[in-house]
Amino acid sequence: MKAAVRMEWIKLRSVRSTWWLAVAAVASMAASGIGVGLGYRSHTPVATEAQILNNSLSGAMLAQLLLGALGVLVVTSEYGTGMIRSTFAAVPRRRVVLAAKVAVVGGVALTVGLVASFAGYLGGQMTIRGTAIPTASLGDPAVLRAVLLTGAYLGATALIGVGLGTIVRHSGAAIGILFALMFVPTIAAGLFGEGGVAVGRFVPLLMLLNSVAVITPGPGLFDGGVSVLLMCAYAMVAVLAGGVLLRMKDA
Amino acid sequence: MLTGFSGTPALPSVVCVIELRELTKRYGGRPVVDRLSFRVEAGVVTGFLGPNGSGKSTTMRMILGLDAPDHGRALIDGVPYSAIDRPLRTVGALLDAGAFHPGRSARAHLLALAAGNDITPSRVDQVLATVGLSDVAARRAGTYSLGMRQRLGVAVALLGDPGVLLLDEPVNGLDPEGIRWIRDLLRGLAAEGRTVFVSSHLIAEMALTADRLVVIGQGRLLAETTVTDLAAGGDTLEDAFFRLTSQATDYRGSVA
Repeated sequence: MKAAVRMEWIKLRSVRSTWWLAVAAVASMAASGIGVGLGYRSHTPVATEAQILNNSLSGAMLAQLLLGALGVLVVTSEYGTGMIRSTFAAVPRRRVVLAAKVAVVGGVALTVGLVASFAGYLGGQMTIRGTAIPTASLGDPAVLRAVLLTGAYLGATALIGVGLGTIVRHSGAAIGILFALMFVPTIAAGLFGEGGVAVGRFVPLLMLLNSVAVITPGPGLFDGGVSVLLMCAYAMVAVLAGGVLLRMKDA
Repeated sequence: MLTGFSGTPALPSVVCVIELRELTKRYGGRPVVDRLSFRVEAGVVTGFLGPNGSGKSTTMRMILGLDAPDHGRALIDGVPYSAIDRPLRTVGALLDAGAFHPGRSARAHLLALAAGNDITPSRVDQVLATVGLSDVAARRAGTYSLGMRQRLGVAVALLGDPGVLLLDEPVNGLDPEGIRWIRDLLRGLAAEGRTVFVSSHLIAEMALTADRLVVIGQGRLLAETTVTDLAAGGDTLEDAFFRLTSQATDYRGSVA
């Protein structure tokens, strides 16, 4: 298992797409944070601490797709290029390979997600400096918690990507399904109006915006920590399904 | 020494390194590899010969555990590939020249596979030198010519200094110099006592490279022979090859 993890780590860092996606995830969150902060500078009435925090983390909407795509590509690029046969020839126990990918992608995406989340937070806070908008201090446990949970949410998204990639094996299809899973249930939950919360609290994007990246979760929604655990559970289901298919299907 | 269509050939039990027992693979009910049984011994180059689509690549993939057989087994030194610990140290394979990520450098590709089998990074530099890719090892492998890709594939096969080598159509698309290079390399590896199993659809190339031949058609064993014996019938190797493989086609036609 240790050798497989080292193999996956070398593979992940030796392709450019990893770096592009990681940089883009951080940049998108930093840019959103800065944009939101600049927007609120001239906004009346004066924004609250909760508003500025929530909105400066909104770049996570894009970052989740970028890191999800990173997770997908770690598997599907191997099927697309034929690399998977070299990988399984080196480590024939396929579920060890999958576990190693989960460990490496999980660690990297969690790290990048946390960096991106802090970048969004800082982007927002730095641009409102000198205005009447109250500062959301990281010394406030609720603020720190929201920033950390957003990073963790992003890490879990990448693992959902790994699972989907293992199930579908095709980059375009897997990324398409990932995007659909992020947005379609959100729209569907919206159709239920007020009653949609009962469903919406299980929906990734709604959890991110209203339960994870906030000081106080919206009414009827899970606590941020529960939402992130739910994301981890989705990732686990996807990865386990991928693991079953890996065993059944030819490489 | 031609064998019939059925049963395991009764070869003398020499050093037997790769062994297939009734190996069978079906796609959509149609057998692609059909109860294939033979042995590949150490110290010689064994050619795996058959027309396009005769099941050579599928057989190779089953030996490496990439495809699961519907029936039968493929064993290396008595165990299935998947049961071998750090298998690159026992079996080196060139399956196709594109089994790498085009955006990754040759060195990173080799380093990753080496790490997966606890092979030292210094061995990566050794095999890069052996295949003549040292100077371009930092380049993205997707920029390589077909010949360089084949060399990278051979580097992967040699990475673990394995006793068994499987190469699927290694001379495909190579220029005459590359073909000679592969031929000399394979013969050298066999002379060191390794087991070398190399597939081709080119009888003329196999005649120069291989000592023993396993001939298949439509997934079935047609002959387990030597280059010398195959040519002993008085006709050319090519004629002998066509005679063998046309029988396979006739046989299939009669049952279809």
